[in-house]
Amino acid sequence: MSTPPIVAEGLVRHFGSGDKVVKAVDGVDLTVNNGEIFGFLGPNGAGKSTTVRVLTTLLKPTAGRATVAGYDVATQADMVRRSIGVALQDAAIDPLMTGRELLALQSVLYGLPKARATSRGDELLERVGLIAAADRRVGTYSGGMRRRLDLALSLVHEPSVLFLDEPTTGLDPMSRLTLWEEVRRLNREGTTVLLTTQYLEEADQLADRVAIIDHGHIVRQGVPRDLKAAVGAPTLLIDVAETQASAAREVLVRFGDLRPTSEGTLGVGLREGASAVAAVIRALDDATIHVRHLELNEPSLDDVFAEATGHRLEGAEAPKQ
Amino acid sequence: MPAAFVPSMVMPVFQLIAFSGAFGAAVKFAGIKNAMDWYVPLNAVQGASFGAMGVSFGLINDMQTGFFDRLLMAPTKRWSLVVGPMAGALVRAALPIVLVFVVGFIGGMNVPGGPMAFVTIVIAAIGIALVAAAFALGLTFRMRNMGAATLTQFAVFFTIFLSTSQVPLAAMSGWLHAVARMNPMTNVLRLARQGLLGDVTWSGTWGGLVALGGMLVASTWFALSGLKSLEK
Amino acid sequence: MTLALATRHTAWLTYRSVLGRLRQPAALTPSFVFPLFFAALGSASFSRIADRPDFQEIASSFLNYAVAGAVAQGVLFASTSAAGDLATDIEQGFFERLLASPVSRTSILLGRLGSAMVVAVVQVTVFMIIFMAFGARIESGPIGFIGLVGSGAFLSLAIGGLMSGMAIKSGSPEVVQGSFPLVFALMFLSSAFFPRQYMTGWYRTVADWNPLSHIVEGMQGFMNQPLAADMFWRAWLIPLGLAVVSIAFGLRSLSKRLAAL
Repeated sequence: MSTPPIVAEGLVRHFGSGDKVVKAVDGVDLTVNNGEIFGFLGPNGAGKSTTVRVLTTLLKPTAGRATVAGYDVATQADMVRRSIGVALQDAAIDPLMTGRELLALQSVLYGLPKARATSRGDELLERVGLIAAADRRVGTYSGGMRRRLDLALSLVHEPSVLFLDEPTTGLDPMSRLTLWEEVRRLNREGTTVLLTTQYLEEADQLADRVAIIDHGHIVRQGVPRDLKAAVGAPTLLIDVAETQASAAREVLVRFGDLRPTSEGTLGVGLREGASAVAAVIRALDDATIHVRHLELNEPSLDDVFAEATGHRLEGAEAPKQ
Repeated sequence: MPAAFVPSMVMPVFQLIAFSGAFGAAVKFAGIKNAMDWYVPLNAVQGASFGAMGVSFGLINDMQTGFFDRLLMAPTKRWSLVVGPMAGALVRAALPIVLVFVVGFIGGMNVPGGPMAFVTIVIAAIGIALVAAAFALGLTFRMRNMGAATLTQFAVFFTIFLSTSQVPLAAMSGWLHAVARMNPMTNVLRLARQGLLGDVTWSGTWGGLVALGGMLVASTWFALSGLKSLEK
Repeated sequence: MTLALATRHTAWLTYRSVLGRLRQPAALTPSFVFPLFFAALGSASFSRIADRPDFQEIASSFLNYAVAGAVAQGVLFASTSAAGDLATDIEQGFFERLLASPVSRTSILLGRLGSAMVVAVVQVTVFMIIFMAFGARIESGPIGFIGLVGSGAFLSLAIGGLMSGMAIKSGSPEVVQGSFPLVFALMFLSSAFFPRQYMTGWYRTVADWNPLSHIVEGMQGFMNQPLAADMFWRAWLIPLGLAVVSIAFGLRSLSKRLAAL
């Protein structure tokens, strides 16, 4: 594929009109490269889902353009739909149908020949571990089983680009790990994945690159490691006896700014980065300060988010659309 | 709440108009002057009872949110958990009765029995409303889901329609005649209708009162024993 | 989108809707119980009236009269309920799942109507078997039976199209179910429960203009008279005409909803 599988340029989507217009997506530029897992990170209502809805042809862009799998989402919507797999957070699975029936229906919708549909259905049920539950009604499935079935449904036509909208929201930790493993496996097999999430850890664990969105704007975009490094110095935390605290402070301040920490712990932002740790320890040793505990904290994606937006992601909730 | 409330107010009026229109001739063949005279009491009773059984919606909601457990743990008298909702049912029952009267007047119903005609209709409608509410509570205490509300609607619907709801006993044939004769609702409807068809008399009244009293005792016992079964 | 593929989509969505109907017995039961109950109640309440010579010209017994009304009523219940399922799809997001796929857009509506029609055909057949067991007779013979089943099927399209249009417009099953009392009232103000010849005043005027009166009277013709062409005119062509209008309304609601995305 010569053009990247997902490209958005100046993408805008407004809801309502006049004074009450809500700018859910307000000028998003985005490029997802072939074969990557791209994480789209932001709080509820930041514009993640709206962007995904525009990219998957479920909403029309108000302005700007986007191509998915080389097709324009506004003018070649049907070709886009044929090329992508979509698992949406709020798109319910009919609780009255069985997993196998839904896979068969999905195969028909994507125009698979009957014989192929049956074998593909079995293959996918096997893949997501739902063989035993295949003939039960979806209404009896657990949350994790539904997400796995949802993933299987989105893969029926072997799409080259996969959109996963908050695939693990509300799942227990075990189900989340299972789903992550499956996403990685699909990616190894060559599928490009765009996933939205409000979990920092998920973006960190899964994504090759991330975009952070807030109030309809992308505020940071890049490889998680680089984004974190750009935020600034890692923090070194040490525990010392209370009697030695002031002496330790005098040593630490030579390596960077002291940082607020919990009581009984001292923190310093290492000006020279993580490589300065050895020098700090030598200096403390020279001053005969006994270090009881030592910890180096790299900046997290939450720090990246906070630095870019001025508020924290965890527990944050942007105004609802 | 209004969304659940509106159908219970509109339906009896709808039905009053629909029945009077469709079966007006049938009722006249049976010797009744105006179809409204026949159907106003019926729809007052039915409207009041369907409005009243709405208490089970609130109760089901309370049970599902756990609020009811808190009430059970509170140091209140147990019977108040039955009597309270039944008092609420009276409020829900009142409006459909009034609406049906208004439509009846517009439709030109006759009131040969004078003011007492309305008293008997209100006694019958409120009585059946209380029976319906108590029955709904009893079922809800036992089933604890929306099925209880549906089942109550079915039960009350069939009890009302398998009586003299459409035509007098004399006009009925076969199985319906046998069922309606045994159905206490037939007595209640005779009590309710007497003042629109003629004078209000004791002979037209006591049978209905006995039927109401019996049903009320039975359904209240059903509600209270249901409440007890919750604690087991 | 080839026509063959669109047809395949419609067939599968019809199949899915029928499964959905069958797997919610609580939603399907009233459409069987109430019409049969009202027919039984009517026959027992109005049998004396049915003996009158002027009624005998319409039907030989009240049961024979009530069959058509019960059929229309059952179809009305079932088609409204099928449209309610469509609104549920919109409310819960299955509709969106379909839209994300390259499904033929029209087949989303046609699939629902297809299922309403399948259920109607089964329902009318079951009703006829029950009524005949209790002594009803189809005076126009086997072709009359086909006439009744066809009429029920076309009526299901007419009501299904209208209710589906409302489902698509509102996206709320409550709105669809809430409009049911209106349709039900329309049934009483027609020949479905009692002959409009006996009605007076504005009731009679409404019943005369009510298309349901004429559809039901066409069906009553199949039940009570020797076969004649005018039965098909009334029992088939009127619902077909209404179906064309109501399906157009449904499709228009669908394309409006899609355009507003």
